[in-house]
Amino acid sequence: MFSARRNRAAATFAAMALTGAVVLTGCSGSGESASGGGGEGGGEPVSLNFAFWGNDVRAAMYDEAIAAFNEEYPDIEVNVSFLGFPEFWEKRQIEATSGGLPDVMQFDYSYMRQYADNGLLLDLEPYLGEQIDTDPLSEQILGIGVVNDTTYGIATSTNAWTMFQNPKLLETVGAEPYEGGGTWEDYTEYVAGVTETAKAAGQEIYGGTDYTGRIQNFEIQLRAEGDALFTEDGEPGFDQERLQEFWEEGEALRNGGALPGQRIEEIYPLSGFDSALTTSELTWDNFGAGYLGNLGEEYTELTLTEPPVTVEGAKDLYVKPSMLHTIAATTEHPEEAATLLNFLVNSPEVGAAFGTNRGLPASETQLEGIELDGLDAQIRDYEESISDRLGDAPPVPIVGFGSIEEKFRQLGSDLGLGVITPEAAAEQFFQELDVILAQ
Amino acid sequence: MTTSGDITVAGPATPEREGRTGNRRGRINTIVWFVVLGALTLLVLYPLIWLIFSTFKPSSEFGSNSGLLPESPTLQNYVKVAEGIGGTPLWRFFANSLLIATLAVVGTLISSAMAAYAFGRIRFRGVSLYFAAMIGTLLLPFHVLIIPQYILFQKLDLVDTYVPLVIGKFLAIEAFFVFLMVQFIRNLPREMDEAARIDGAGHIRIFVSIILPLIRPALVTSAIFSFIWTWNDFLGPLLYVTSPEKYPLPIALRLYNDATSTSDYGATVAVSMLALVPILLFFIVFQRFLVAGVATQGLKG
Repeated sequence: MFSARRNRAAATFAAMALTGAVVLTGCSGSGESASGGGGEGGGEPVSLNFAFWGNDVRAAMYDEAIAAFNEEYPDIEVNVSFLGFPEFWEKRQIEATSGGLPDVMQFDYSYMRQYADNGLLLDLEPYLGEQIDTDPLSEQILGIGVVNDTTYGIATSTNAWTMFQNPKLLETVGAEPYEGGGTWEDYTEYVAGVTETAKAAGQEIYGGTDYTGRIQNFEIQLRAEGDALFTEDGEPGFDQERLQEFWEEGEALRNGGALPGQRIEEIYPLSGFDSALTTSELTWDNFGAGYLGNLGEEYTELTLTEPPVTVEGAKDLYVKPSMLHTIAATTEHPEEAATLLNFLVNSPEVGAAFGTNRGLPASETQLEGIELDGLDAQIRDYEESISDRLGDAPPVPIVGFGSIEEKFRQLGSDLGLGVITPEAAAEQFFQELDVILAQ
Repeated sequence: MTTSGDITVAGPATPEREGRTGNRRGRINTIVWFVVLGALTLLVLYPLIWLIFSTFKPSSEFGSNSGLLPESPTLQNYVKVAEGIGGTPLWRFFANSLLIATLAVVGTLISSAMAAYAFGRIRFRGVSLYFAAMIGTLLLPFHVLIIPQYILFQKLDLVDTYVPLVIGKFLAIEAFFVFLMVQFIRNLPREMDEAARIDGAGHIRIFVSIILPLIRPALVTSAIFSFIWTWNDFLGPLLYVTSPEKYPLPIALRLYNDATSTSDYGATVAVSMLALVPILLFFIVFQRFLVAGVATQGLKG
């Protein structure tokens, strides 16, 4: 009996010792690989964490940009971290809870309000004109990063809504390109015409996709009518009937003419335009390089034209930031962080590294660093050509805009598959909207 | 993976049938079985087969050709993937994954076996309460823990190390494995412990010399699962690892895809394929152990 008790004591001690040892080895085992990273702070050379989303191509561009930064500022060490877009935000959301946000971040417009409202972003006002050079940035660009009268971010580059067309594919079909502008009915007819021509020649090529699947097309219609998707107070600027009408408008395209919903699902995540199945696509003008990449070597050229217009002479289009740079409110080195932000936004070296990968540079000095050719030059020319149609940018998107946009896309795809009527879709959308707005 | 398991099960089942119903019918039966199972396997494995073939498609073919065979086969995807991402070579991601998975397996086996021995063999005060509490943690969804855990490790300055990913494994935090081993230990005859005790063995000796060898099948099962889970874990490394050169494979896989610019689907499938190979090898090697272990255990019990 008593020997058993002694045994137990011995075992307890042994177990504790063993666990301790194991924990220690566990720490040292991974500690080894942990050296080299982590922002130590203090001391003379400062270390900053910088995070962006993107793929291997963009990572190589940032490597080049940071190398140029370190040539100028050898005392500021930049630890770069990158992920895909959804993972990037998943990680930021968790970090935001514990003050662990990276010092400088590539930032998306749709998250600005949420992060600014929660006091997670640094007020950039004291650094404007000091570390951050505002001369090369227009008033309009500076206004983009303002939430509740405070500047929280600087836009790196801009996008505008456009229509891409594939001239080589049009040639294969033997159809003329869409000349741009016109009414939505004109465009619908045009799409059906191209599809018809291709079908007659025995080709599986379509004139376009159902444009009512994208919330931006709805937005420019509303803007042309003097409304907006969301008002300054975050209320919807349209009602259920208007949305239903919009989706009914797409009926003609869905019943023939446009790329069928089933085909869209088959090739997802690529779009019909990526896969050389459609000759036109309405989207943001920085998507061009991506399309060319996905289309492969056969296709070397795309054209940009004006989207259809709802009311002639309306200022329905606008320039939006493709991305911004922000600084975390918790940063220990705000001045150095602002220096890095300024370099990323304004320096010609960064411009040379990126081209239009992040959109058309917003800063004049950065734009000077780029030798625009091919698609890059087309994008600049396009943004200049639509200046008559450019209106004021809508207010910073409401919290939850990302989910709303995704819901719109899903309903659009359901409509394309024919599993829902425009009426039911509009009703569902408003139900979802109520939930999101109530949060 | 489940299907390859099905086939090995079906193999030994057929001779039995042969004995019962005569030779010819047995053979026909065998053939029918193999054809049916083969077809089912093919159906279930089709995505994997598609993946393997797709690794030879050039990136631009992904939208236009969703069929099995590439139109213009190329090795370019593998060449590109081997170069790595953003200055980090591909082998580095493999090494990171391997390091994390190995630490996790070692940690899980040591800690879970010890915890299981305590629960299964030692009567201490509150044993059933602790056991219930441990089982209770199985019901706790991971998502409830994410934020408090992150804050904890952030304050300890352990973010961007592998410590948050493996420390739990060394502390028997995986209740599932502990439970598995407890059940195994409870089925072992106590007489063996008692015999050892009469010979003067203490708990450590009993644990190392009697229990550990006998629960080998449970250890192998735990090792396989813990390896696969850790190898495939995405959320943990996503949260705790910041520097790209420390990323394990599941994170690196995603870096070829970017919804906001270009996605290199060719590279994505090629690297997915490569990431699958080690885990497949691990399973094939250890599956034998698993079967062997169960067989010996059956004889003794």
